[in-house]
Amino acid sequence: MTTHAHETKPATHGGSGMSRMNIGTLGMTIFIGSEIMLFASFFTAYFIARSNATRWPPIFEGTEAFELPKVITGVNTAILVFSSFTVWWAEKRLAAGDRQGLIRGLIVTIMLGATFLIIQINEYVHLGFTPQDQMFGTAFYCLTGLHGAHVFVGLTALTFSLNRARRGEFSHGSSGPLTAASIYWHFVDVVWVFLFVVVYLV
Amino acid sequence: MATHAPSSGQQIPHGSGGGHAHHTDYRSIRHWWIRAAWCSAAGVLVGLLLPFFLRWVFGLDPLWNEQVYVTTTSLFSVIGFLIGIGCFDWWGRWMVGKHVDYEDHSFHGASSWRDYFRVNTDHKVIGVQYLVIVFSFMVISGVLAELVRTELAQPGAQITSGEGYNTLFSGHAALMIFLVIIPSFAGLANYILPIMIGAKDMAFPKLNALSVWMLPPAGLMILMGIILGGYSSGWTAYTPLATQAGTGTTLFEIGVQFAGASSIMTAVNFLVTIITMRAPGMTVWRMPLLVWANATTSALVVFGTPFIAGSQFMTLFDRVMGTHFFDWNAGGDVVSYQHIFWFYSHPAVYIMMLPGFGIISEVLATFSRKPIFGYRAVAFSTVAIAVLGFGVWAHHMFVSGMAPWLRIPMMVTTVIIAIPTGVKVFSWVATLWRGKIHLQTPMLWALGFLFTFVIGGLSGVFLGTLPADIFSSDTYYIVAHIHYVLFGGSVFTVFAGVYYWYPKMTGRMYNEKLGKWHFWLTFFGFNLTFMPMHWLGLQGMPRRVADYDPRFANLNLIISLASILMVAGTAVFFYNAITSWRSGPKAPWNPWRGRTLEWLVSSPPSIFNFDATPQVVGGPYQYGIAGARHAIVFAPEEIGGGELTETTHPTILVVARDTVTGKSLLDATRELGTHGYWRFAFVSPADTDAERAALTRRHALAVAVLGQAGIPASGKVVSGDIVQEVARAAQDEHAHEIMIATYPLGESQWLRQDLVDRIRKATGLPVSHVTVSHKESRATLDEPGLAHVMVVAQDAVGTDALLDEVRRRADRSPARFTVVLPADVPSPAWGDEANAVRRDAVDRVHRAIEELQRSGVAAQGEVADGDILAAARETVGAYRPDEILVVTSTAQDLAALRGIARGAIIDEVVLGAGAAN
Repeated sequence: MTTHAHETKPATHGGSGMSRMNIGTLGMTIFIGSEIMLFASFFTAYFIARSNATRWPPIFEGTEAFELPKVITGVNTAILVFSSFTVWWAEKRLAAGDRQGLIRGLIVTIMLGATFLIIQINEYVHLGFTPQDQMFGTAFYCLTGLHGAHVFVGLTALTFSLNRARRGEFSHGSSGPLTAASIYWHFVDVVWVFLFVVVYLV
Repeated sequence: MATHAPSSGQQIPHGSGGGHAHHTDYRSIRHWWIRAAWCSAAGVLVGLLLPFFLRWVFGLDPLWNEQVYVTTTSLFSVIGFLIGIGCFDWWGRWMVGKHVDYEDHSFHGASSWRDYFRVNTDHKVIGVQYLVIVFSFMVISGVLAELVRTELAQPGAQITSGEGYNTLFSGHAALMIFLVIIPSFAGLANYILPIMIGAKDMAFPKLNALSVWMLPPAGLMILMGIILGGYSSGWTAYTPLATQAGTGTTLFEIGVQFAGASSIMTAVNFLVTIITMRAPGMTVWRMPLLVWANATTSALVVFGTPFIAGSQFMTLFDRVMGTHFFDWNAGGDVVSYQHIFWFYSHPAVYIMMLPGFGIISEVLATFSRKPIFGYRAVAFSTVAIAVLGFGVWAHHMFVSGMAPWLRIPMMVTTVIIAIPTGVKVFSWVATLWRGKIHLQTPMLWALGFLFTFVIGGLSGVFLGTLPADIFSSDTYYIVAHIHYVLFGGSVFTVFAGVYYWYPKMTGRMYNEKLGKWHFWLTFFGFNLTFMPMHWLGLQGMPRRVADYDPRFANLNLIISLASILMVAGTAVFFYNAITSWRSGPKAPWNPWRGRTLEWLVSSPPSIFNFDATPQVVGGPYQYGIAGARHAIVFAPEEIGGGELTETTHPTILVVARDTVTGKSLLDATRELGTHGYWRFAFVSPADTDAERAALTRRHALAVAVLGQAGIPASGKVVSGDIVQEVARAAQDEHAHEIMIATYPLGESQWLRQDLVDRIRKATGLPVSHVTVSHKESRATLDEPGLAHVMVVAQDAVGTDALLDEVRRRADRSPARFTVVLPADVPSPAWGDEANAVRRDAVDRVHRAIEELQRSGVAAQGEVADGDILAAARETVGAYRPDEILVVTSTAQDLAALRGIARGAIIDEVVLGAGAAN
């Protein structure tokens, strides 16, 4: 009888175990799983082509050798990684009840992200090869371009969050869209570190 | 509407719901569609001007590149359409910093058909929107299939050839897969899944709306690709064919991107909904298998679909930007397309199958009235299929020239994946075993599915083995296999699901006869069409070719003719679905006596499904287990909350006469009542006092039997015009539904008077009908909760005095009676004289029993040899009665009787002299 009473009482077990997690955060986490697979599909094409090639970057008669600016991009990588810490700091400030800190943190993050994008576009302009130049050019531009598009989306999300934060939205424990945007931003950074190592360094 | 009604959903399908302030968006659908039109046009303009401007700025030559402009115009016009129709309105306000209401329900729910044609955040409306879109594309895609069969009816060119034929089958496959099968499951689950887990909506209602509105443009893109021509690379769009084919392929790729994005968003939505929004008590092991199936499928979609997105992006870039992903001469790899494509598209096979498995588990359990066999094994096998599904992709590529070492591992994993699938099939068969199988339309589809899917599954194992695959690759054997799994598998489950939940979704019952016609036409048409394709394939007829060797002519003609049967079946389906929705009989809450939560709410459910969060207390499939319950649904706060079973029961009015105590009726009411939800009010019309008394006794019996099962019930005898009286009683009792019990057709006076329809019209309530045989209504009720009284009488049998005595006992408390007549037979016991005595005794008992039954007393009789003591000893041993009523004209030796009574209460009535004449 005791177990029966226990079972029928409007208990909070079952579904509510996970419900302390914000649905926006959970949704974004699952969506990032999807994003990882999108990158994985492009990397699959990249790895297959690379494993087929006898030399990478390939060398062809009558064309310039492919060269990637490792140092500048390395600095750029540092900028992007640093922006992950600034968005983390911004969230810490919100948790401490410091709205100005949050806003400042977001502004710095957005500026760092924008800097990254500008440097990347500048790199495109000065590289000397195009997406139409061999699989190397194709893979390089599509991988970095796909990532750049994600940086842009992340920046947009952060800008909207900044806009809402300025209007007094978000507080500790109720910051769904902000948390989602920052998780997304961390994801964009992690992907870049992987991409940088694979495409530029190795 | 009754004040204690758990929701107002019965009369106003999506009208008002308790507990939520609700106002609906006032703008008309014209407003939205005009806005969508000009936004789409603006999108086209942007799609033309933007690349033109950029190409001009960067000095690209030539300025006009058809592929580029087709890509950008289609892309921007779809985005424009989505903005115009209003998918982004709320987010738009949020983005620009305007005030937004997080509890904004103004786009939630539908009060007229118009609300289905605009953005709506109600998961039920979205589910219906999905299904309407799906079935529209099914018609288009079916027409394409028939065109394919027309072309193939005879060797040589019929209506088209080469390129045109390639476009036909490519379009058929692409639409069926991306716009019919995959979204059909999303639609069914959208409607049912949140209710099944006790939620009021999906986790992201606005995202849900965006998902569904992406589908029509996605389908239109593919359709335009077919109409404009050039989409001739098959649904797989293999490179280099796809990179070289005409403009239609570009449109196909854009369309697939939107369909894929829609799938991913829905999958994220389902996962978050299932993880966070289950009702209290809904542990993972209490989730219905449909929920398990959709959770697993959603995981597959989330991790698989990006791969087809990636493959189509890369093909598109190769086509539009001149990249070299699949160009061998420039360092790309043409086979890598197939790897990436199948890494999604093999899991996609399970995306198209697992939700169907879920539907089948629901339908089979409900219609065999048995718990699903091996619930956990079925759930685990679903997950196992999903995990293994990512490791078998290259079995589509055995002849593609891929790395040879991959062949054996892929063959092994492919054969292994048959094991969890087999676990499911055997579980379903075991569920059927010794179940009480009801062959209604959903069940027919489920059984048809078992038959065809096993064939398709086995030919799949056959194809997974390397030698067989190399032999039959690119032949009609493959076409047969894919149709046995996707049509005989997936589409059959979709139909099973649509029929199963049709009453829930529309609030109307479909026509059972037409449903069965649909099934049998399709079933025979299907097997006649696709079975011979196995033989054609093994004899070497290639697929994807418009012409064939004349030796295949006969079978091809048969196939083409048989396919018309399926067209006829589908036409019956559409006729049935549309007419039943308009004017079908109103559906009761739980027409199939299902156990899952969606059957514990009205049909269709009220606007937020539940007035108070339900409490789940047990597993979902405990059919036939007395007292087992899945969930408790609570009453709304306004009437005090509380469990509906204890405070206010929605009432079913049971209209019956002598059939009140029929076992079929009692079983039906008990089955419904076991959910702990309904209350039953028996209403019986009587003309004479005797009838009135008899019916009152029958009511007492039925109430006692139901009471024993914990189901509240009451009885009332009325006189006068039956239809009027029933209508009045329905009002008095605040009845939600009416159940009419009659004798079978032909024997029943009520059916002859068309009473079922007349009552339905008079009350406007859903009416169900139970048939009770004559034999049943006269049978003794061997039910727990009724005392068994043995009446021992000698010469009194047959007298009114005895009958009165028994009736008096029956009126005191509900009981069933066995009348025992000791026949003091003369010796020898086998002699003629003894037999005559017995015959006479049997006649007397018969008359008495008949008389008792006429007066509503549950009675049976027995003639026993010997004196009263001997007879009592024999029958007490056999019946173990609770009471013994001794009716004699002279006092008996009660002490002797007590010795043999085995604890039964003994009551003695001595009739006055002269009574026993």
